[in-house]
Amino acid sequence: MIERFVMPKRKRVGRLLKSPARTCLTLMVLFGTGLVGQTTNGAKSSASDSAARATHILGMESISKGANGRLSLQEGSLQFQPDEGRDAKISIASIQDVFCGEQDRQVGGVPMALGQAATPFGGGRVIGLFAHKKFDTLTVEYLDPNGGLHGAIFQLNRGQGEILRSKLQARGARSHELADQAATVSSSGVQQ
Amino acid sequence: MRVDKNTSAAVLATALVFLGAYETQLFAQQSVRNEQWSVQVDNVEPGDVNLDPAFRVAIYENLLDELSKTHHFKQVFRSGERNAAGLSALLILKTTVENYTPGSETRRAVTTVSGATKLKVRTQLCSPQGQVIWERTVDGNVLFFGSNLRATHNLARNVANSIKESSLPQPAIPPSASGN
Repeated sequence: MIERFVMPKRKRVGRLLKSPARTCLTLMVLFGTGLVGQTTNGAKSSASDSAARATHILGMESISKGANGRLSLQEGSLQFQPDEGRDAKISIASIQDVFCGEQDRQVGGVPMALGQAATPFGGGRVIGLFAHKKFDTLTVEYLDPNGGLHGAIFQLNRGQGEILRSKLQARGARSHELADQAATVSSSGVQQ
Repeated sequence: MRVDKNTSAAVLATALVFLGAYETQLFAQQSVRNEQWSVQVDNVEPGDVNLDPAFRVAIYENLLDELSKTHHFKQVFRSGERNAAGLSALLILKTTVENYTPGSETRRAVTTVSGATKLKVRTQLCSPQGQVIWERTVDGNVLFFGSNLRATHNLARNVANSIKESSLPQPAIPPSASGN
């Protein structure tokens, strides 16, 4: 009885390849699965390179405010490579503190704002409710060779800021948060 | 008595020229007086307020930008900058956050009347010896349009304008003797 329902493997493949349409469909499904697998692997590898899309909010003198680019860790420095123009680097050794925060901002820029304003019957407010996106902010405090304190703020996609901060801390960037944690652990050890 | 049109035009032109010259002289005097000072912007103190570090850094950077734009000081130094050490005609700008209301851009866009970001700081210009020379409480808000961090830009601009409008005393030692 069971043998009637469970066909041998060779027979099943043979049935699938019997008509050209079925063959095409099978090949497309197999090819598609392979593509999905490749995309996932690619995303993983880019994350391991720690390059993330970012917007420079303020702080880096050679880069204009609001410039888009890629933020990555390279050879002991945090590098911001704008889409247009020269890159800027912050030496990890000069970093005094790293923070990660969260902000919500309107997407769509001026056209979206104008669209909201032009929508009648208060429809702009409804659009405004959905035209906002949450971002991570990565704040870096660092010293220049002259001892002057600088601060740079970058806006990243949600989740990217925390990853980058952890990587910076792992590579030796100073952080008051880490120092506070260490102090808490040592004080609790003393109490025990 | 009828006044000739040409005469009245000449009188008006002369008055304008004199007024312009007086304004220029006044501006030059003010610039000379204030450019004797240099300023070092100290790190922003969050005080008892739970301030987002991004706001603290943004206030600091915007203060440096806005003070440079005013051309009110000879030089604007960053906190800890070694070049500032030893200058006698140096003022230190200390900023302490007194009040911070975190806002939301989404709430501002949807409701218009709520979600404002508000900042209030106490700002002081001190001598290197710690004597307070100038002190003000300044606000910086984003009520309707713009990102939350724009409050820091508005605040820094207000601080710079307040300093610009105030008259600072002469430095005790002339700048030529202060190692410049």
